[in-house]
Amino acid sequence: MKRVYLTIILALGLCLGVNAQRAKSVILVYLDGGPAQTDTFDPKPEAGRNIYGNYKGVIKTNVEGIEIGEKLPLLATMADKYSLIRTMTHGSNAHETGHYAMITGDTSGSGVVYPSFGAVISYMKRDSYNGILPCYISLTSANSRFNEGGFLGNEYKSFDTGGKPEAKEYEVEGVVNKQVNRQRMEQRMSLLNNFETQPIDKHHIDSLRGVNMEFIWGDSREIFNLQEESDSVRQRYGKSRLGQSCLVARRLVEAGVPFVNVRTTGWDTHKKHFQKMNTMLPELDKALSALIADLDARGLLDSTIVLCGGEFGRTPAVLWEAPWNGGRAHFGKVFSYLVAGGGFHGGKVVGKSSETGEKVLERPVRPCDLIGTVYQLMGIDPYGTLPHISEGNLPILPSLLDNSKEGGLLYEITDLKTKDYE
Amino acid sequence: MKRIWVFTLCLAFWAMGASASERCRDEVFFRRAHLTVTGALPSSQECIKFLNDNNPNKRSALVDRLLKSELGIKYMQMHWGDILRIKSEFPSNLWPNGVQAYNRWIYEQLLNNVPYDQMVRGLLLSEGSNFRSPAANFYRGFQKRTPENFYANINLLFLGNRNCEDNGALCFSQIKFKSTKEWKEEIVYLDIHKELPQQPIRLEDGTPLRLEADSDWREAYVEWLTSRDNRRFAEVMVNRMWYWVFGKGIVHEPDDWRKDNKPSNPQLLNRLTDHFIKSGFNMRALMKRILLSEEFNSKMAPEGFYEPQRLPAEVIVDAIASVTGIWSTYSSRVPEPFTFYPPRTRATHLGDATVSSSELELFGKVSRDVSLESQRNNSTTARQLLYLMNSSVLENRIRKSHFLNNICKENPSLEQVADAITLRTLSRRATPQEKQLYKEYMEQNNLPLKEVAIDIMWMQINSNEFLYNH
Repeated sequence: MKRVYLTIILALGLCLGVNAQRAKSVILVYLDGGPAQTDTFDPKPEAGRNIYGNYKGVIKTNVEGIEIGEKLPLLATMADKYSLIRTMTHGSNAHETGHYAMITGDTSGSGVVYPSFGAVISYMKRDSYNGILPCYISLTSANSRFNEGGFLGNEYKSFDTGGKPEAKEYEVEGVVNKQVNRQRMEQRMSLLNNFETQPIDKHHIDSLRGVNMEFIWGDSREIFNLQEESDSVRQRYGKSRLGQSCLVARRLVEAGVPFVNVRTTGWDTHKKHFQKMNTMLPELDKALSALIADLDARGLLDSTIVLCGGEFGRTPAVLWEAPWNGGRAHFGKVFSYLVAGGGFHGGKVVGKSSETGEKVLERPVRPCDLIGTVYQLMGIDPYGTLPHISEGNLPILPSLLDNSKEGGLLYEITDLKTKDYE
Repeated sequence: MKRIWVFTLCLAFWAMGASASERCRDEVFFRRAHLTVTGALPSSQECIKFLNDNNPNKRSALVDRLLKSELGIKYMQMHWGDILRIKSEFPSNLWPNGVQAYNRWIYEQLLNNVPYDQMVRGLLLSEGSNFRSPAANFYRGFQKRTPENFYANINLLFLGNRNCEDNGALCFSQIKFKSTKEWKEEIVYLDIHKELPQQPIRLEDGTPLRLEADSDWREAYVEWLTSRDNRRFAEVMVNRMWYWVFGKGIVHEPDDWRKDNKPSNPQLLNRLTDHFIKSGFNMRALMKRILLSEEFNSKMAPEGFYEPQRLPAEVIVDAIASVTGIWSTYSSRVPEPFTFYPPRTRATHLGDATVSSSELELFGKVSRDVSLESQRNNSTTARQLLYLMNSSVLENRIRKSHFLNNICKENPSLEQVADAITLRTLSRRATPQEKQLYKEYMEQNNLPLKEVAIDIMWMQINSNEFLYNH
C-alpha cells in the first residue's frame, strides 16, 4: 500500500516538473591544499618509482577490480559503499582558481562571482529548512580564499564553528563559551533589557536574541557535545581534528542540517610529501571510513551524500630533487573524488586516467558535473537559475551549459535520468 | 481628503521650522557626525571637550575638522573603493601593488578636495601602467574587457543608469591592454589610429557626438558627461553623497535612475544640485552642507527625520576594537606572496576587499564584486547577535581590555566606572537611571566591581545604541 502512495507521489512530482529528492544532506570532506590522487584513490603501481614514489603497494578492496592506495586499508574494506571518480578535471593549477571551480562548479570565466554549492543549497532550502542550527555549517572554518556566499550574499555563507572538536571541550564560537554560564548570561540579558530604552529595531532584535538563547541553551547545543559519544566511537573516527570533525558532521546530519563542510588543511605537500602522507593518510582513512560506516549503520547513508577531495590533485611525477626532496606539485588536469550515499551508487569507478596518471583517457568529469549531480540528488534543478543583484536570473551552473567541454552529469552512478528535467 | 490633511500637517511642521526641540542633542550629533564622516568612534576626551564647548557654532566647526581629518578622508576613500571594486583578486584582479597605487590616487584626490568632474576625468581618461598611472586601474579592474562593459559601468557609476541603450560604447573601443616584463604590470593604451566607426554616435538624451580621427575618442564623451549642462551627472553624485550619509537616497536605489523611479523630495535634490554645480563640484562643501542640514541635525525617527542605520561591518569591527582596546591583525593569503598589515590597522582602512576576516564577513563586509551600493548589506542577523552575545572572542577581548583593567585598578566608584565605559562606548555620560540600574545589578547579583564593569561593557556593545548610528 505504501508503495502505491509513493508511486503516486513520485508520479505527481514528475508531472509538476519537480524532482523527487533522494538526499537530505551533504557532507563535504574537503582536503584543502590538494591531495595526491596517486597515493589515494588512483594508484599507479606499474608506473615506476617517479610516479608511485614511496607507495608501490596497493590494496584490493572488497569490490572486485577496484584497488586503492596502500595507506587506506579501512576504506578498502568498504568500497561497495562508495564510488571513485578518477577523472575529475578543471585544468587549473592555482589554489584560488581550483577552489573556486570545486566549490562553485563555475569554470565559465564569466566574471560573475558564483556562490559555493553549500550556499546554493542553503539558499534553495531557505523556506523548507527551519531548524535552529544553521543550514550550512563549516567545521571548523570555511575556505577563506573565496567569498562563500558569492552573489547570493553574506546571508548564505557558512556558519564557522571555530574551536577544536578534538579537544576536551569543543567551544563552538557563539554557542559554547566556557567563561559564561547560563545564570550569568541571563543576568546580562536582563541588564540589557532594562537598559535598552531606544526604540531602534527593538522588536526584530529582541526576537533574534530569543532565537539565539534557544540555540545557546537548548537541545542544539548538545549536538556539539562529543562527550555524549562513547570513547570507542570517538576512537574509531580517530582523535584527530579531521576525525572528530567527521563525528560532529554525522551528529549534525542526524539533526537535519543540510550541508556540512568538514575542511581539513595541510594537503599542499610540495615538500616532504611522503613523510606527511604517512600520518595524514591513516587519519583520513580512519575518519572517512568511520563516517561512512556510521552513517550506514544508522540508516543515514541513503539520505546523506558524502564527498571527499580537494581543489585539485598533485602531480603524478614526484619531484625528488632539492628543494622539494620528494614532493608533489599542484595538478588540476586529472584527479580523484570519492562520492558516497544520498543516491550515489557504491562499488563503481568513473573514468580512466592514463598509465602515468597525467591524462584523462575516458570520461572526463567537470566540477559542474559533480556539483550538478549533487544538486539533482538534493532535489535542485541543475539547469535552474539563481537571482543576481544586477544581471537578472543566471544559470545555477553556467559550465553545465557549455558543450565545448566534454563531461556530463554522473548518471552512471545514480538512478537519475536526463528526462527528469525534460 | 487624507492627503490634504497630511499636507497641512507637513506644512505646519515646516512652518515651525527646525525648532530646538526637534534638533538632536549635542551628544547625539557628535556621535552621529563622527560615525558618518570618519566611520570611527570619538575618544572620551574629544567627547567631553565637545559637550563642554560653549561655542554656538560648534557643530559647524566639528564638521569642518572631521571632513579634513585623516580618518574622514580614509573613510570617504572606502566608499569610493566599494563602488570602484578595488580588490587584489578575483574578479577585479588589480593585484596588491595596483590596489595600493589606486587607493593612494583616490586618497590624494580626496585630500586635495579635487573637484568631482576633474576626478572623474582623471579616471575615465586614464592610460598607462597600472603601477605607475594609478587611475588606469579603472580599466584594468574588469573581467570582461569590452567597450560595452566599460561603458555600462561608467553609466552605472556616474549617471545611475542601469540599462544604457545608446552606442556611446564606441568611444571606449580604442582601449587596449599589453603586459610588460614586470610581474603583473600591464599597460592600458589607446589604439589611436583605429578606423572611425561608420555609424554616428547618439547618446540617450539625443546628443550627437563627433569623433575625430587619430585622437582619444573618450574625450568627446567625457566632455559631455562632466559638463555643467549635464545636470544628471551632478545629481547622481549629490544623491550618492546623501545616500552615504543617510543610508537612503533621495532617489533610491542611488544607482537606479529611471523615469519611474522619482526622487522623494525633488526640491531638496534641486537645491543641493544647484549648490554643487555652483561650487564647482566641490565634494567637501557638498558633504558639509548635508551634515549641517536640518535633516542631519534632527532627532531620530519617528520624532525627527534621521533614520537609525546599523553600522557597516568595518565600522562595527573597528568600534569593538577601539572600545576594548584589542585590535584584530589583518593579513591575506591571497594572492601569494602573502600580505600582512601593521598592527592596529583599521578595517575601514584595509582598502582591499580581498583582505578579510570572519568577523568582517559576519557583519556584511562588501566583497566589491559589483559597483552597486546595494551590495552592502547592513541588516542585523541572528548570527551577528550570537557572536556579540556569546562568542569567546568578544568575551576575551572584554576580559583582557587594558582600559577596563586600568579603570578598575584605581579603586573607583561604580558611578565613575559606568561613566568611563559609557563615554568610551556610547560617546555620552551615563544617566542617573542607568547608574541606579548598575547599582542594583551589582547588589542583586553580588558581583565584584571588575565583573560588573565587564558586564556593563558587554551589555553596551550588545545594545542597539552601540550597533546603530542614530
